[in-house]
Amino acid sequence: MKKLLTGNSAVSYGAMLSRVEVISAYPITPQTTIVEELSELCAEGKLKARFIRVESEHSAMACVAAACATGARVFTATSSHGLAYMHEMLHWTSGTRLPVVMVNANRAIGAPWSIWCEQGDSLSQRDTGWLQLYCQSAQEALDTVIQAYRIAEEILLPVMVLVDGFFLSHTSEPVEIPDQELVDQFLPPYQARYKLTPEDPHTFNIMADPSIFISFKHAAQKSMEQGKKVVARVDREFKAHFGRGYGVVEQFRCADAEVALLAVGTVASTAREVIDQYRKQGKKVGLCRLRMFRPFPAEELIKLLAGIKKVAVIDRDNSLGAGGIVAQELKAALFGAPRKPKVFEFIAGLGGKDITPETIQGVMEYTINNPKPNGAPIWIGVEE
Amino acid sequence: MKKKKPVKKKAAVPKKKTFFPPMSLSFEGTLASKTGTWRYLTPTYVNKLAPCNESCPAGEDVEAAMALAGEENYFGAWEKITAENPLPRVCGRVCFHPCEGACNRKDFDQATSINALERFLGDYAFQSGKRFAPPKEKKKEKVAIIGSGPAGLSCAYHLASLGYRVTLWEAQPELGGVLRYGIPSYRLPKDVLDQEIDNILSLGVEVKTSARVGTQVKWAELKNFAAIFIAAGAWKSLPLKIPGEQAEGVMSGLQFLQKVNTGQRVNLGQRVAVIGGGNTAMDAARSALRLGAKPLIIYRRTKEEMPAWEEEVAETAEENIEMIFLSSPVKILTQDGKVQGIECLKNLLGPPGKDGRREPHPIEGSNFTLAVDAVISAIGEVPDLSFLPEELPKSDGSLLVDETGATSLKGVFAGGDIIDQPRTVSYAIGSGKKAALAIDATLQGKNVVEALRSARWGEKGSLSLVRYQKGGVDGVAQEVVKFSELNPAYFKPEARKPREKLSGPQRTAGFPEVNPGLSPASALFEAKRCFNCGVCNLCHNCFFFCPDLAVAARPDNLGYEINYDYCKGCCICVEECPRGAISVEVKK
Repeated sequence: MKKLLTGNSAVSYGAMLSRVEVISAYPITPQTTIVEELSELCAEGKLKARFIRVESEHSAMACVAAACATGARVFTATSSHGLAYMHEMLHWTSGTRLPVVMVNANRAIGAPWSIWCEQGDSLSQRDTGWLQLYCQSAQEALDTVIQAYRIAEEILLPVMVLVDGFFLSHTSEPVEIPDQELVDQFLPPYQARYKLTPEDPHTFNIMADPSIFISFKHAAQKSMEQGKKVVARVDREFKAHFGRGYGVVEQFRCADAEVALLAVGTVASTAREVIDQYRKQGKKVGLCRLRMFRPFPAEELIKLLAGIKKVAVIDRDNSLGAGGIVAQELKAALFGAPRKPKVFEFIAGLGGKDITPETIQGVMEYTINNPKPNGAPIWIGVEE
Repeated sequence: MKKKKPVKKKAAVPKKKTFFPPMSLSFEGTLASKTGTWRYLTPTYVNKLAPCNESCPAGEDVEAAMALAGEENYFGAWEKITAENPLPRVCGRVCFHPCEGACNRKDFDQATSINALERFLGDYAFQSGKRFAPPKEKKKEKVAIIGSGPAGLSCAYHLASLGYRVTLWEAQPELGGVLRYGIPSYRLPKDVLDQEIDNILSLGVEVKTSARVGTQVKWAELKNFAAIFIAAGAWKSLPLKIPGEQAEGVMSGLQFLQKVNTGQRVNLGQRVAVIGGGNTAMDAARSALRLGAKPLIIYRRTKEEMPAWEEEVAETAEENIEMIFLSSPVKILTQDGKVQGIECLKNLLGPPGKDGRREPHPIEGSNFTLAVDAVISAIGEVPDLSFLPEELPKSDGSLLVDETGATSLKGVFAGGDIIDQPRTVSYAIGSGKKAALAIDATLQGKNVVEALRSARWGEKGSLSLVRYQKGGVDGVAQEVVKFSELNPAYFKPEARKPREKLSGPQRTAGFPEVNPGLSPASALFEAKRCFNCGVCNLCHNCFFFCPDLAVAARPDNLGYEINYDYCKGCCICVEECPRGAISVEVKK
């Protein structure tokens, strides 16, 4: 069934089709309509889930984590300040190896006050032990939520699904809603390997002494590494089942490209148009869309960019004092690679500023026309 | 020395790595740690008595009925009430509801509207066609009941339900006693009373009306009965003992009400003096008003000392009936043998008397006269004991009975207004039940005192037939729950639904029922306001709060139980139980 849905509505459908059993969330723009819709579905009885109202995001994550520990499939959603407020619980959730799935609608973190799109809120949580999958369309958001449960429940790590605030969360587009039966075949009920149960009660997160703490972290790291393969495999299986797939890094006209653009989220769909225009002019350019940021697909990027001379990275975020987070991660990944492109770094679109085709053209022109980057990220659209 | 284990050979199988869970998890289950050994306080589930149950003179299981009504199980609630009291539609209208006076909720906001809910349940069940179930067994013993007021009807109902062959002897042409001949129909409509009585009679009760035992019917005629219950009421009005009392136009309150209630014409004239401050006086004055007269209540003390119930006094005042306080009649003024007026003395209140009320003292020379056309004296009623066999001992104007309701004659019991107990419908109903239980215990050869003791709801004399049948073993302790034992944090303040009433002019145009009762929505609201004191209603708080998961649902799902291997006696459950259904003992 095809319906005109906003990104947030598509996420709600994804959660409903995944037959989540417990939802707990606190409203925050631009995420609110996700849980608003889910709460209505619960109230109407269309979704047989417990909706737990809480007073904060910290509690929302604590609630879903606890519910997940009892073996329930759980869902929450947040944004920006809410995600920052959850920070402590993000660590606890991944440390407890709970397959929680959360959608974060990317929004700038104040100050100054802003409700508009920026990816710094989730990128700054990169070290919390969560997988991060960035979506480009409403369809992908729906599909990724379903995929996320398969991934999380296999490797026992939580997954964060990211949608750009407003650009994706509040924009309507036609979305194919898969049949429940089909989803049920793809996503069987969650069978927890370890769960809190009165039948065989155990203490979870018991104090680990210095001799053993590191072993838990190492086990999680191995699961993250395994996650790279699992995300790719689940996506392939999803494609075989539903006819739609996205990959880990989506590439567009990269095969013979000399200059490539690396983007995350909805910027990539704007960039596609610009790439097509360059191709019409006979210029060998391509686009890489980074869908999976955690675990970071270093091997895949090294392989993909091996034949490319220059890569322009647009970061819709900035780590003050260091630069764009995606560019840093990319440079670190390429450091030891035998063949690697020059990395041109751009900071654009912070706090919801539009990244237009002209913005992207500017980025491409600069990259094509300069033999090497000048050593510092270029900020676009700054008033001085 | 430890023996060395023999080394097993496992050639082809590679050695398995030690189990290492993905997250830090207690290796052993926490069940290994029996925290119960720490305990010195022991919580236990004890369903206790709600104060309403203890204070209901008719012995109703009020709490259980409220709980069922709160679940919209109105038939179930009706069955709980009628297991103890066959007259919920009567009591729901005329009971002075000591249950509400005892209600713990009054210490929180306002008492639950139990009385109005009882009426709703009675009316609802009747309108839905619910009737009493016929007795399960038939017994051969016959029991005679003298008097068909609330005590007689209650006794007849319980004995008939237990299978006895019951005959009701009534001096009047119709059944009901004070309910029919005393209480005006604006408080208790006659059709409601008829329906309630019919329901009781349908259990197979034989009726003899216009049959006054002791005069029209000789006592000897009752010798074939295995037991006799005397509940003839208190129908003798106390005289004013003042000059002019024999004049035309002077009558007793009961005489007047009896005439009004049987549709006889009463010529009152214009102005009627009603002497007294009790319920009979209020009923007489309000009835006189409805007949077109202008009543004037004359009472010797002040409003505070009036023995009539507050609600009745308030309704009387709402109807703008004039009341003169601190006045005592000394003479009825007559002309040609007819009432012309009344002469009174003003009183001052002195120190409290035997009953705790301040005694009136007349002021000499304060005489004043009022022109009246009729005088209704309602200063009290006493039983007429003249019809009783001489050998029955009497005391202070009442028939003497022991704690089981038995007289000194074997097999003869008494209750209601003829014995010395508060003169209310619900006490009468309670004494009828007590007699029924005592008669059953006697005829079944039980120890009567013990049998009645097992039927008690607390210490105020209320008896439950259901407890009687279970020999007192029903899992409810005799301990009454106090407000301080509840956890009011779990209840939100909600004002009680006011009883709707007809406006003054609507009321007094005739004898329509003043109080139309609760709407279904209000009734449900009130049932849900009930705290269910002392009784576990599966709110799950104890389960949620127990830090040791030591609280688990009982296998029958009718409550919770505590696993003392793991209960370390923190007693959070006791604290968090909203209704005081968990007790603490200092023991291992």
